[in-house]
Amino acid sequence: MKQSTAKSCQKSPLEQSWAYTDIVKDHFLNPRNFLMGDETKFPADGEGLVGNPYCGDQMLVKIQVSTRKNPETGKREEYIKDIGWKTYGCASAIASTSALSELAKGRSLSAAGDISAEEICAFLGGLPKHKFHCSVLGHEALKNAIADYQNHKNLKNQP
Amino acid sequence: MVYLDASATNPLLPEVRDAMLEVMDLSVKGELGNPSSLHSTGSRGRDLLAAARESVAELIGASSEEILFTSGGSESNNTVLHTFTGCPLFVSAIEHPSVLEPAKLYGSPCWEIPVDRQGIINLSALETQLRRTLKHSPQERLLVSVMTANNETGSLQPLAALSALLQTLRADFPKAQLFFHTDATQAIGKIPVNVQKLGVDYLTFSSHKLGGPVGIGALYVRQGSPFKPLILGGAQEGKRRAGTSNAVLATGFATAAKIAKTTPAKYQKIAELRDYLASEIKKRIKTATLVCGDRKQLVLPNILNVSFPGAEGESTQLYLDLAGIEVSTGSACASGDIRPSHVLMAMFGDAEVAHNSVRFSLNLKTKKQDIDYLLKTLPPIIERLQKLSTINLKESV
Repeated sequence: MKQSTAKSCQKSPLEQSWAYTDIVKDHFLNPRNFLMGDETKFPADGEGLVGNPYCGDQMLVKIQVSTRKNPETGKREEYIKDIGWKTYGCASAIASTSALSELAKGRSLSAAGDISAEEICAFLGGLPKHKFHCSVLGHEALKNAIADYQNHKNLKNQP
Repeated sequence: MVYLDASATNPLLPEVRDAMLEVMDLSVKGELGNPSSLHSTGSRGRDLLAAARESVAELIGASSEEILFTSGGSESNNTVLHTFTGCPLFVSAIEHPSVLEPAKLYGSPCWEIPVDRQGIINLSALETQLRRTLKHSPQERLLVSVMTANNETGSLQPLAALSALLQTLRADFPKAQLFFHTDATQAIGKIPVNVQKLGVDYLTFSSHKLGGPVGIGALYVRQGSPFKPLILGGAQEGKRRAGTSNAVLATGFATAAKIAKTTPAKYQKIAELRDYLASEIKKRIKTATLVCGDRKQLVLPNILNVSFPGAEGESTQLYLDLAGIEVSTGSACASGDIRPSHVLMAMFGDAEVAHNSVRFSLNLKTKKQDIDYLLKTLPPIIERLQKLSTINLKESV
């Protein structure tokens, strides 16, 4: 199901350009890890916001960070223990943030920061071309959340 | 299925299908020639075309030689604006793109007439600009193009007042040549439209909005008005539009046009349903904004445009579609464009209103139970999207 190339994002430019894959529809209708209504119930270590209502899309991503031993390297690392989000926007915006949350959950911070729009798009089995460019923004919100977490940590560690 | 997207297209009327099948059967039997051919079967095509033209003309109070068949509303609009290449063009900011885009291309210059928050053109701004232009060049030939009713909001434009203004200007600037075009595509069949009463020189309308076939429309050109063909290469349509005449589509269009003469009266009942929908939405979804406010008399009887803060239009549209309700939205996300509805932007200057807008457009088949089903289905969808959304509703419009 998971496709690795960005090519899967390119649907035919004519009649098919509206079509959403079943995976997109599923994430739109049954979004994963989202903050429904009261977001204060999700105490976050970092949060990031991207987009704006004027453009028609806005995402808020909140993360909880913990540490664990990396099974391969044996070194301790920080990872995303839990993630919550909100999105104002179209089906593609909602589905892509949901997909991002699935991709990010459990990843080390450095690996989570590498999640790209192409990876989200591939996870969803492709998106209409015009959607890919305007609505896949969740990974940027996640990057902001990670930076926010690191800022807080640096402030705390200052003497 | 509840179809509330009648402004996009209407189902083919059974009478139209029957009429078209009859003509198609003639063709199958080899009894329908090219209407441009001199022989007998060609003559039959010609007769069908003439009869169709007569019925289409009658719908708007025109004479048949003033009616030009085109491929649809977009071509009719393009043809008029193309005729005025190099002239000053005055078009409302809420015109269909098939007026706006050619106006920008052909106009020298192209002036956009602003609209107020109800989507009604600012006549005094237009008058100021027209007078300024005519004072500068009193022998100017120019065109004003304002739609009869808007396709997204249904807002009716003050065409009578506009016509009176142009008459005054014709008296004040006797050497000027002022022409007046209206795109009546959405209005025809919903309200009475008569070219003599409106005082227009050009009028656009299309067949499929009336329950006729897609692929044919008409352009009314008042006798003596300037005309420059857009499609060259044949003597059809009085040398005004090249291409083999289509007797099947013309007959279907004419059948729909005959029926459309009787429909404006029937839309009164639909207006009541629409008003019921509007007041119930306001009651059940407190955050909703009726795009045209409560000025019902200034809106087509069948259109209601509502903006739901925090709930993006395409998402609302898709949720409704899954529940079997078909609507449309002014959101950029649903248009394949990065800009939201230019109509709502011209009215509000606020992209959020446009992104969150949903257009409900009813037709004569819409029943109260359809509206009640929508009223039951819609509030939880809006509530869910608003909860999922980053928008703080207290800060919204």
